[in-house]
Amino acid sequence: MSLSPKERLLDTLAKKKVDRPPVVCTGGMMNAAIVDVMNRTGHTLPEGHFRSDLMAELATDVNQDTGFENFGIPFCMTVEAEVLGSEIDFGTLACEPKIAREPFATNAQVQFRDIDKLLDSGRIRQVAEAALLLSRSNPDVPVIGSITGPVSTAASIVDPMNFLKELHKKREDSHRVLDYVSDFLISFARLLVDGGASAICIGDPTATGEILGPRMFQEYAVTYLNKVIDGIHATGVPVLVHICGEMKAVKSSIPQLHSDAISTDAFVNLKALKEEYPQLTTMGNLSTFLLELGEPDKVSRHTAGLVRDGIDIISPACGLSTASSILNIQAMTQTVKDGGRGW
Amino acid sequence: MSQIEQELFQRLSDAVVDMDEDEAVAAANEVVERGIDAYRAIELGLSAGMERAGQLFDEEEYFIPELLMCSDAMYAGMDVLKPHLRSDGVSEKHKVVIGVVEGDTHDIGKNLVKIMLETSGFDVTDLGRDIPPARFVETAKEIGANIIALSTLMTTTMEGMGAVVRQLSEEGIRDRFKVIVGGGPISQGFADRIGADGYAVNAADAIRLARSLVAPAEAAA
Repeated sequence: MSLSPKERLLDTLAKKKVDRPPVVCTGGMMNAAIVDVMNRTGHTLPEGHFRSDLMAELATDVNQDTGFENFGIPFCMTVEAEVLGSEIDFGTLACEPKIAREPFATNAQVQFRDIDKLLDSGRIRQVAEAALLLSRSNPDVPVIGSITGPVSTAASIVDPMNFLKELHKKREDSHRVLDYVSDFLISFARLLVDGGASAICIGDPTATGEILGPRMFQEYAVTYLNKVIDGIHATGVPVLVHICGEMKAVKSSIPQLHSDAISTDAFVNLKALKEEYPQLTTMGNLSTFLLELGEPDKVSRHTAGLVRDGIDIISPACGLSTASSILNIQAMTQTVKDGGRGW
Repeated sequence: MSQIEQELFQRLSDAVVDMDEDEAVAAANEVVERGIDAYRAIELGLSAGMERAGQLFDEEEYFIPELLMCSDAMYAGMDVLKPHLRSDGVSEKHKVVIGVVEGDTHDIGKNLVKIMLETSGFDVTDLGRDIPPARFVETAKEIGANIIALSTLMTTTMEGMGAVVRQLSEEGIRDRFKVIVGGGPISQGFADRIGADGYAVNAADAIRLARSLVAPAEAAA
């Protein structure tokens, strides 16, 4: 009997044997709401960032058009920072939302607000409601709720240059803000799980080896990613973590993360990572340049290579360009569904 | 160089590498009190320290937080020394316009490049983040820049870099400026495709690139 997409993903994350790897795109940092899809369906951004019904419709369009075997919401990384006080530029159809201004110059200035109140503000409830709509309409397809990681969220509310310096200079302040942000992220993720999310993906692009270096990565990124992961695990759902950039400097910290899968950027040799740390469930890492600028044949060939290498979950390596071609994405998903055969 | 000069320059350099703002200020004050040439103290003390910090960054001993703190120590020392610069001794600096292209507000990388360029003796005009192509061109014309440096972290905004090059060509002034590009999704291939003059993989590399691009102009002059 063949597995449903949800069973396949959850079994993979539970390290059970499956017929073939799932092919997913998590939303959030890895938003697959590309221009091609929106132009066809008329369910568009930026409107879809605000309304749960539109968010659910667009996530459904993405699932149907691209062949990715999940729903991925939200479509940006600004839901958390908005609620914590940042000014957001919501972007356009083709350009994702971003932080226009961080409200706090330093960690010491961060206002600690009641988390229950935070959950009732911004777009938090809309995203949770979209998860509910999606999980009800398609119980066989996993909803992946995407959240922004603690280091990136903190660096989205505190001036990032000062934030990075204070990791050294004002460690207590840094820990206090990261702890607060992590508590909030756990609560947000729990709302998504209550809404029916089957898994949570954490993207933390500021928490990279290249930016932080091994010591700061260990002290802050590992500590607070694990805090958030543990808080989500308590609800019973698995957690995926995406690490951006070159990982060499922090590779030895990776097995210490409590997540159920590790997703990496395109430079990382996932096969080699798996050989070195066989306990890891790997996810990735098809080049997003290839998806934007390549041809379907080449996309299929590279995708089949990932399947042959035994990568556990096939996914884009990083944030997709909204100008990526639908034909390339379909070539990617279809190749995985064919078991990587023919290449 | 007298021994006392040498010692003070070394203290300035060490203060930068050790990320010690207070020590940088103390050593800079001593330079001023002793009437030692401020320009040489910047060049052989603070800038030399920043160069060492850049090397540690290249060697992956230092990362971005460390480099930022080194630059804070450097600027703290610089603030003390700048008022004591004799203008006649300072040669004309090469000018750079830098910014993050429109649609993107990630500026950590751009800020690093700016710091390293300033340390290396470039006169840098920082437009900030989310900057439309026309503003790069206008500012470059206005200040007579040698180099336009463009940064982005987002794949969706990379084309803004091409737009800057196109606008320069359309206005017939492409050869007046060197255009350099960098940032997460950028590659040498992309730089070639849009007709930029160079690509740098990180801040240290950007300095090497900028120096090499202005070098021929200097030889000709």
